[in-house]
Amino acid sequence: MSQGVMSVGEDARIFPDVEACIDCGGCVVACKRTWDVPRDEQRISISTMLEGEEAAAGLNAHSAKALRQGQNPGETSVPMQCYHCENAPCVSVCPTDSLFKKENGFVEVRDDLCVGCQYCLSACPFGAPQFPDADEGAAKLFGTGGTMDKCTMCEERQDVGKGPACAEECATDALLVGTAGQIAEELDKRGSASFFNSEAMEIIFGEDAEAF
Amino acid sequence: MTNLDHGKFTRMTTTFHTLLALDVFILFFSGYGLMFNDELWWLVTLMGGSTGVTAVHRIAGLALVALIVFWVLMMLTTSTGRGNFREILMGPDDVAAAIQDFKFVLGMADERHPNARQFAGYKSDDVPLLSYIGKGVIYIFSIELTLLTISGLLIWSKTGVMQYFATKTAAMAFVVFHGLLGVIMLMGVMFHIFEHGFHPAFYPVEVKAFIPRKLIPEEHADTDHDSTGISQLTLAPSWGWATNVMGVLTVIGIVSVLVGSIFDEGYPVPRELVVGGGPTDLLLTVGINVGILVLFIGMALQMYGNLLRVRWQKQLEQEARATATTDGGQVNQPNDD
Repeated sequence: MSQGVMSVGEDARIFPDVEACIDCGGCVVACKRTWDVPRDEQRISISTMLEGEEAAAGLNAHSAKALRQGQNPGETSVPMQCYHCENAPCVSVCPTDSLFKKENGFVEVRDDLCVGCQYCLSACPFGAPQFPDADEGAAKLFGTGGTMDKCTMCEERQDVGKGPACAEECATDALLVGTAGQIAEELDKRGSASFFNSEAMEIIFGEDAEAF
Repeated sequence: MTNLDHGKFTRMTTTFHTLLALDVFILFFSGYGLMFNDELWWLVTLMGGSTGVTAVHRIAGLALVALIVFWVLMMLTTSTGRGNFREILMGPDDVAAAIQDFKFVLGMADERHPNARQFAGYKSDDVPLLSYIGKGVIYIFSIELTLLTISGLLIWSKTGVMQYFATKTAAMAFVVFHGLLGVIMLMGVMFHIFEHGFHPAFYPVEVKAFIPRKLIPEEHADTDHDSTGISQLTLAPSWGWATNVMGVLTVIGIVSVLVGSIFDEGYPVPRELVVGGGPTDLLLTVGINVGILVLFIGMALQMYGNLLRVRWQKQLEQEARATATTDGGQVNQPNDD
């Protein structure tokens, strides 16, 4: 099995191996520590589904397989963050072009253009857009969301050859970073699979979703 | 009702028209600041940046809701309101006028139908005060405002519709609907400004929208005219060039906003469908700013219309005072509906 971070920089993608995630919160802490994210904000969070439930017989820790068979996948933890989608819905709906997909593949938000309309929040299937200032001052008074904040996939770290802080910190290598092909191959090697349905995979990887 | 063609708004309507126009102008300036934020960067900055411009748009949106509620209540509860509502209903004559107008344009009719002759200087005995085109403007404006208000409120407060809203398709639908309606309405308002500010008989502003009909004399001093006396008006020397310049600006503004909404990604056109970019952006920036200039001129003209009302009222007061002094009687303030 490879490390979670397989390659960085241009065309690098980030994707969770939910069967490896143990909900330790290491990624959340690493992100906060690296980017000085305040206590009540987070750019990555772990959603634990069916907490305490056992999967269908023989399918514990095989969530994707269970889902494909229409069986109960049992307790499953999914690290949720911006996956810098190939067909990013947030970019499509942004009225001020503050969200855009850069040529190197990163989806970036330009703070000075964001008007806090929260269309991106409605459009993103993964709940990535965060609005930490939504309850403050003018934003609260007028019902806007303030400025949107989300995972940057640690672009600055990747520029100098390091992996995203969350993936580097993950004790179980549940956050995979690399090209779509590398991620698909690694999941296959682990006997794991994508937890998301084909529609979500098409959004995240575009044509490369076929690799999974 | 006067036999003159220009005194058809009550005091309530003139006040409402002014408030609605001001509110709609503010909605346009803030809405198009959001929509064309790159071309109108200065407008966004003037309105306090991203937070300021959304706050202005939402406050003006609330004011619009208040104005609409007030107007509906007035139409329902006052006899003048109910009467005005009956007046704007389309009748068989209006349908006939529309058909005859089409025929007239195609050379298949000798003249326009009386219900289409809004600006031709006829007496109210000859033609209705509101043509089918005038009624159409009210219909279109009302429907657009209603739809923009509903979609705007849904976009603003997502709580109730979140279950339907939390998909890219739903978000796009709201965005495109609100944005495209805004574009259509902007074009309509630009044309409205040109039509009513630069008509040769009314230039530079059509005062019937600003001076209540009770302040307009029922008859001219000389009542021997065959028509309203419109033929005796002299054309302002500046009308020719002013109308040409304003016409060009209006066309550039309308075309630019329309093209901009197709070229500009995101709102209301998604990135996947975007065309253009590059050097065309400069032309669009100029064109869209020209459109905003037309709106500014419109707002200035409507303020000028109100100034004319104030001057007219003062003139009437002075005349009344002069008469009272001569008669030794009481000065009566003009009252209105």
